[in-house]
Amino acid sequence: MKPAELREIDRPWRIWASVIIVSILAFSVVFGFLVLPIVQGRAAGLDAFTAICRAVGILPGSPAVKQPTSEAKAQPTTQVAWSTDLMRTFGRRTQAGAEIAQGCVACHGEHGIAADPQNPNLAGQSAAAIYKQLHDYKSGSRVHDVMTGIAQGLEDRQIVEVATHFASSARRDLDPTTAEVVDEDVIRLVERGDPSRGLPACNSCHGFNAGGPIETPTLSHQNREYLARQLQAFKTDARRNDIYTRMRSVAVKLTDREIERLATFYATTLSY
Amino acid sequence: MGERAVTHARRLTLAHLWVAFAAFAVAAVLGVWQMWARSPLPAPYLTAESYFTSVTAHGVSMAYVLTTFMVMGFGYYVAETALGRPLPLPRFAWLGFWLGIIGSAMTAVTIFAGNATVLFTFYPPLTASPFFYIGLVLVVVGSWIWCGLMLWAMLDFKRANPGVPVPLAMFATVANAVLWLWTTVGVAAELLFQIIPAAFGWNESVDVGLSRTLFSWTLHAIVYFWLLPAYIAFYTMAPQAAGGRLYSDTMGRLTFILFLIYSLPVGMHHLFMDPQQSSAFKFLQMSFTALVAAPTLLTVFTISASLEIAGRLRGGKGYFGWIAALPWERPMVLATGMAFFMLWFGGGGGLINMSFGMNAMVHNTSWVTAHFHLIFGGTVVIMYFAIAYAIWPTLTNRLPMSPRLQRLQLWLWFIGMMVMTLPWHYLGLQGQWRRVATFNYSDPIIAGWGPWVIVSLVGGIILLASALLFVWNLLQFHSARAVVATDLRPIYALAVHPPERVPAALNGFALWNVLVLVLMVAAYGYPIAQFFIIDAPEAIVHRVNGRG
Ligand code: HEC
Ligand code: HEC
Ligand code: HEM
Ligand SMILES: [Cu+2]
Repeated sequence: MKPAELREIDRPWRIWASVIIVSILAFSVVFGFLVLPIVQGRAAGLDAFTAICRAVGILPGSPAVKQPTSEAKAQPTTQVAWSTDLMRTFGRRTQAGAEIAQGCVACHGEHGIAADPQNPNLAGQSAAAIYKQLHDYKSGSRVHDVMTGIAQGLEDRQIVEVATHFASSARRDLDPTTAEVVDEDVIRLVERGDPSRGLPACNSCHGFNAGGPIETPTLSHQNREYLARQLQAFKTDARRNDIYTRMRSVAVKLTDREIERLATFYATTLSY
Repeated sequence: MGERAVTHARRLTLAHLWVAFAAFAVAAVLGVWQMWARSPLPAPYLTAESYFTSVTAHGVSMAYVLTTFMVMGFGYYVAETALGRPLPLPRFAWLGFWLGIIGSAMTAVTIFAGNATVLFTFYPPLTASPFFYIGLVLVVVGSWIWCGLMLWAMLDFKRANPGVPVPLAMFATVANAVLWLWTTVGVAAELLFQIIPAAFGWNESVDVGLSRTLFSWTLHAIVYFWLLPAYIAFYTMAPQAAGGRLYSDTMGRLTFILFLIYSLPVGMHHLFMDPQQSSAFKFLQMSFTALVAAPTLLTVFTISASLEIAGRLRGGKGYFGWIAALPWERPMVLATGMAFFMLWFGGGGGLINMSFGMNAMVHNTSWVTAHFHLIFGGTVVIMYFAIAYAIWPTLTNRLPMSPRLQRLQLWLWFIGMMVMTLPWHYLGLQGQWRRVATFNYSDPIIAGWGPWVIVSLVGGIILLASALLFVWNLLQFHSARAVVATDLRPIYALAVHPPERVPAALNGFALWNVLVLVLMVAAYGYPIAQFFIIDAPEAIVHRVNGRG
């Protein structure tokens, strides 16, 4: 067949395909961008222009409802808002940080490793976790006789510095000879949780590779008594600075005996 | 044009398809374990981490490795057999193959080392180890080489045969290559500009609205990339296997063109419940989604008509007598029947998913997982089996004694898929979440789900049996007594009116690419641009190994 003939039979295809496809496009645009929002907006008491802008996404909100208004006041569990700017400030260990840390030695130990097992170790804890807790003490989200006052004496910048300082200190050494005999039941709780009670695995947030929230603290190498007391505090609602009640909803399902064993587990087991 | 010799494609196709089916067999084992994990029966090795590792491996193997290697291998086969000429540049084909192998291996090692539990979708701020993504990028680059070779082969044929229509099987294969090039643009942009930098730690935050939008660009069209081999078999192989002719060659060409056009500007139907896109663009893409039903309806009509021709030629009478007269003992015919049956259910489910209001009910429930297992694992994969059975004789020059075990394997797959997915759909309607490892069966509401999950598990076990039998059946070809190639029946069907001259529009893709561009600009232009115009909040990246 000659090229001219070919072009001849091709022409109507080219034209009609384009016409049909562009008409369908035009129809959907008219319907979705104009007709629907105008009709929906009228029912919701919006003027046509606002409704169209909302439908297209230039103005926020839905074209079908008035923006809901509410008198409710939020009562955040914490004042901490994570941002990349904040995250970026962590990581540089400074002299200032070391100096502030001197004020903590009495209770949290020489290198962030507390002598009294009632007090938490800070060495090797993540900077984000330390930052959040100090900030929460300062704002009143978490309350403690001593720590509230101490935190209130620190400026935001100092909190960052001291958090970075402790985060980069070496963790408490564990003595392999005192490591507990493997406690199968607790390992199951840590790794699998207990679906029959709707209890998630601790590892799904606290685990090494877990995608838990940024502020999730490291539990391994922490002190037994401190861990147990915190779990009890979450369980009884005495501590309530965990966003979305993440920890309270877990702790409330644990028995006292499980709390003891979990605390022992994290305080003594090497590999978690 | 009947059977033609396979030259380069013989080893290429065998290599690609064996990789595809090996990945498939491993993934089938993982699939059964996953269903077991979700059931009330205690499953071994179950932790949250092992579950998500497994689902990541299963999803990646099934959705990326099985499919990509299958499409590529089958494409090489079609390029030689349908065009009747050797594949140009076979060295590049092998390069693509090895890129795919290296990439798949890299991804697999990363997953099984526990450094990628992000599932097969790329939804930050969760990220995996960068090697997971780099491996997948290599697979995609390998497949781009395939796309280039398919286009090249078609253009070569046209140059050598001016005015001669490109055979339908090849036209459709090239349609899929063009579709794939368009499809991968979205995910490639997401990976290169957002996710890989985040996974390496070069970015601290990521705009998840943009990444979800870019992924949606790919997410629907990729499904059609997986599906098209099945449709190629429906149009070009099933009528021949049934002893009939293709009712209309033009319908075939239109179908593949419509798939190319309307599988792309529609991905936002995966974002109906997302806040970052506005209602007008969701509406626009929803209305295009509705048009995707058109090529499927065209196909049901055309293939039913083609099979009716075959049935009547074989002496079938009356309204339905032709159905009974079809040669159901032939695997290709049997598989086509089963695939159509599953397509009814799967297609119905799809209509529900694409409707904004009903989508809200099924979003993120097991309904969705059940739906794509039925349509993708069912309709599509059963045709992969049929294609393998149809082309293996020409690849090995051998024929096993009887197709009895092949039929058994297809029946097991069909029954297993129905048994697994129907209760799974129901569970989704009951509110069962997808992507969840374990359920609290002591909760009185959830307790009622238990028996149905066990039924699904039984379906899964039947599927696993079928998967293993499939591999066994293919191995039988390699050990069967050799037969002479000329004994083999031709594979591709002739049309009732074989095309003598077709307009350029139905013989190439220039026009359609322009129209796709127009539609994509309309559907995705502003929805993507808004992220650069409006100052959008970003999420902090979660990296694997981020905390210890
Ligand atoms: C007088 C003793 C004392 C001093 C001094 C002290 N702390 Fe504490 N700190 C405690 C006790 C006790 C707790 C546990 C409080 C609780 O149960 O809520 C605690 C808790 C904390 C926590 C929360 C840990 C966690 O894992 O949630 C942080 C962070 C902390 N202290 C930082 C500091 C820093 C920084 C300093 C120095 C600037 C400091 N503390 C000084 C006694 C002290
Ligand atoms: C859903 C995620 C999640 C799960 C699951 C989870 N945790 Fe937590 N946990 C957190 C977060 C987040 C915090 C910090 C809360 C805050 O913001 O003060 C925390 C804090 C804690 C603390 C206080 C540590 C400190 O230094 O003050 C203990 C102890 C603890 N978790 C133990 C556990 C145990 C034991 C389990 C399993 C039974 C568990 N968690 C499961 C997220 C989780
Ligand atoms: C042996 C048969 C199979 C069984 C028993 C099975 C089972 C499962 C299960 C239980 C899940 C996890 C669902 C969830 O967590 O919500 C899953 C996920 C998945 N399956 Fe299968 N499957 C099988 C075959 C297939 C086939 C043939 C395909 C496609 C070719 C496929 C593709 C997928 C994909 C892509 C996912 C990931 C879904 C996600 O990430 O949400 N599966 N499968
Ligand atoms: Cu889709």
